[in-house]
Amino acid sequence: MSDAAQSLAGQEEVRYRALQAVDPRAPGALETFTAGLHDESWRVRHAAAEGLRRLPDAERVTARLISVLGERGETGARNAAAEALAGMGTVALHPLVLLLEHEDPDQRKLAADILGQLGRAEVEDVLLRALSDVDLNVRVSAAEALGRTGGEAAVRALEALLDAETSLLRLAALEGLVALRRAPATERVMALVDAPLLQRSALRLLGLCPPGASTERICQALASPVRSVREAALVALGTQASGLGPYARSELDAVARAVLSRIPEMTDRVAQALDVEDVQVRAGALVAAGALGEASLALAVAEVAREDRLLREVLFTLGQLGPEGRRLLLKNMGALSLPARTVAAEALVLLVDATSVPELCALLEWAEDDLRAVVVRALGRTRSPQALAPLVALLADPSLSGTAVRALEQLIAVHPLAALAALEAAVEQRTTPAAVAVLGRLGGAQVLPLLRRLARDADAPWRAAAVEAASRVSGDAGLELARGALADESAPVRIAAVRALGRQGGQEAGSFLGLALKDEDRAVRLAAVEAVGAGGATERALDLEALVRHADGALAVLAVRALAKLGKVGSGMLWDALGHPDTEVVKAALAALTAAEGAADGAALAVSLVGHPRWDVRAAAARVLGDLGRPECLPVLEQALSVEHDALARRALVDAVARLSGR
Amino acid sequence: MPRFDEGRPEMTLEEFRLLRDHVYAHCGILIHEDMKFVMERRLWPRLEALGLADFGAYHRYLRYDAQRIAELEAAVESLTTHETYFFREPAQLKAFCEELLPLLEKKNARTRRLRLWSAGCSSGEEAYTVAMLLKDSGRFDDWDVEVHGTDLSRRVLAVARRAEYGPSALRATPPDLLERFFVPVGVNRVRVRDDVKAWVSFGHHNLADEAASQLVPRTDVVFCRNVMIYFDQAARRRVLGVIRDRLCPGGYLLLGHAENLLSLGADFELVHLKGDLVYRRPELPNGEGR
Repeated sequence: MSDAAQSLAGQEEVRYRALQAVDPRAPGALETFTAGLHDESWRVRHAAAEGLRRLPDAERVTARLISVLGERGETGARNAAAEALAGMGTVALHPLVLLLEHEDPDQRKLAADILGQLGRAEVEDVLLRALSDVDLNVRVSAAEALGRTGGEAAVRALEALLDAETSLLRLAALEGLVALRRAPATERVMALVDAPLLQRSALRLLGLCPPGASTERICQALASPVRSVREAALVALGTQASGLGPYARSELDAVARAVLSRIPEMTDRVAQALDVEDVQVRAGALVAAGALGEASLALAVAEVAREDRLLREVLFTLGQLGPEGRRLLLKNMGALSLPARTVAAEALVLLVDATSVPELCALLEWAEDDLRAVVVRALGRTRSPQALAPLVALLADPSLSGTAVRALEQLIAVHPLAALAALEAAVEQRTTPAAVAVLGRLGGAQVLPLLRRLARDADAPWRAAAVEAASRVSGDAGLELARGALADESAPVRIAAVRALGRQGGQEAGSFLGLALKDEDRAVRLAAVEAVGAGGATERALDLEALVRHADGALAVLAVRALAKLGKVGSGMLWDALGHPDTEVVKAALAALTAAEGAADGAALAVSLVGHPRWDVRAAAARVLGDLGRPECLPVLEQALSVEHDALARRALVDAVARLSGR
Repeated sequence: MPRFDEGRPEMTLEEFRLLRDHVYAHCGILIHEDMKFVMERRLWPRLEALGLADFGAYHRYLRYDAQRIAELEAAVESLTTHETYFFREPAQLKAFCEELLPLLEKKNARTRRLRLWSAGCSSGEEAYTVAMLLKDSGRFDDWDVEVHGTDLSRRVLAVARRAEYGPSALRATPPDLLERFFVPVGVNRVRVRDDVKAWVSFGHHNLADEAASQLVPRTDVVFCRNVMIYFDQAARRRVLGVIRDRLCPGGYLLLGHAENLLSLGADFELVHLKGDLVYRRPELPNGEGR
């Protein structure tokens, strides 16, 4: 950089910093910032606009900004003033409405533009009147602004403008309706598609019309030699397809297929469109690709998965490309990007059969973790005995063993003997303790001697696996091994024992769980609380009630849930839980309330929480009140609804009010 | 058409929002409501790996389990797309080579020291690309050069350090550069040459963690491309504050071609290069702090 340029940059920085250092409450701040609006540097002007928004006397600031809007020849200052006014909110509305009456049409146009940026429904009437302005530019700006602010009256006015004599107004009306996502009758929009100036906007609006004749017209536009027209048509096609149920979607696809298959080089054009920047165009290109069912597009379709927002449509489209498309994916997995590989693998899960095992195993050799998880699922779906060995080997991989167990379960159902042999071999070779758990589920009484031996193993993970597996094979053996394991020096083994006791249930298990609830290790205590609930150990209810008050939220949540499972939800415990500082405990208590028929003041408990600071607690309280069906709570719910701003809590309140009022 | 998601739990809107807020509080990454489907799909493998029945249980796991910190990192890794490749956005890289590098050579001629930061470097392709471009320019051969790559994901950093890549990562690499800067290590796989690797270091860094940013060296250029898309306005402001703090006065910030700093304040000045627009931390008045 030259010295002169550096010096200029330094001066600009000085002015910028000086503006940032201005105290908004200091005398003269308004003048300083106003001067800043006229600076040659956009950074300084931007800082001035931001500074003006911080000044305390908003009305005075607004008046000054309005006066800057009138400074013809000061384009930078006017734009900065408009930016500041658009950020001022409701205080700017009235002065801008007055400005709409200004004698200078340029001022009126600016006023309409800024009102559009403010996007407030209360200026709809004013903007509607501005549609009758003598100046065309003002009318166009008003129409555009209505597209950002409008309600029903705006929609009607914009629809009326579709018949305006001036193309510019018709265009603004089309764009406004697109922005409002409101389409007039299909025929009315179709009539505008042929006008070259209006074509792109009309096509996009056509996308909001019901599928059918509109779909056919949209697809015909894909034959246009003009790229921007084709892209508008693709946006429309994507808009139409979004949110359609399976039946309506297949009708749309059939119409699209009939038209697209007659257009020369359509596949190439779709392939190009799948790679453009605009997400909406790509969404439409996916619909077109699916309708064409052209397998050669599979790789390009999969690559669209790099855009997260289109993941659902990519998965759907890959399904439409048939086995040939999926084979193409399998063959080219190594050349795809990571997101495309992941989505392609998901598609492959549906394709695989017994012959796919070697290819899937080859993928396992090099693929990333996310992809490997999908491949493991696919191996389970092959129903091939060849998949047993790789899956048993994967039991040793902590990140994949859970998925491998579920995949093995599918294979065990069709090849039980081969699966048993593979698992026994894995245990004998000490591949991984995870194999013991699967063996316990599969092997029955014949594997008990092996499990007893492993329960005395030198390595804790093997002891833990054996104890848990035994409880699945036999109640007596499970109880015996679990009792011994409760005294194990390793916490994971004690946790396995606790889980086994929970699965076993009964009085003896309950008394052992009482010991585990006092274990020195937190993880064992947590497992014990869950096991008490799972095993129905009602005699431990008092122990759990004490834990509801525990400062550790995890213990308290589990205790509340376990008490609900035991049917031991009393109002004392509920008050304790509802007063817990951890809101997850409060929500667990609310969930337990509906099961607490004995707690006569359950409704009062829930009512106490409809004004809770957290949205999720308020929503949970509303749901409970709806479930309890106590009409006397209706006024409270209605009151809460009138002040509720959170969308999810509102929905729960609306449901509860509807239920209690019998609507 | 058969469903891809048979037997998998659905994520309720409430679960989505609780998980989203949890992730946001951790690293400032905001997941928009229309991304519920994506979040559900990306987190299913985590539920499978942990043997959890539904997303409510997963939320409790993230809140209370002893492994919750590690799991939160795993969740964030699943939720962020680590999609990158060598020589991505060639127009910007051309402007970097032809216009910024000569300026930097002149500016740092006295110290003969150059520091660059690839923020959100994912599996390392960008950091290595920058190092390759520096080598290719021939301007900094005997300089003290370091390209520092950082990412939130520890898993991708392991890939970056290994420096071995397949065809997808190389899809935009010109053949002559492929020959010059990589060595083959197997079928369809290559490794970055050692002299390039020697200029590149990697580290774990959460861009939302302002305190931890002190571990990143003061730098002349920051590449932060396609990272801001994950943040909301408030988090972007914080991240930009971190970047500005780590940039030397007069240092450059290069964003992805679809990103800009509009409406984020003007702590950076826009610089119109012939081939691209970049941002610059303004020089201090009178060269102060240089």
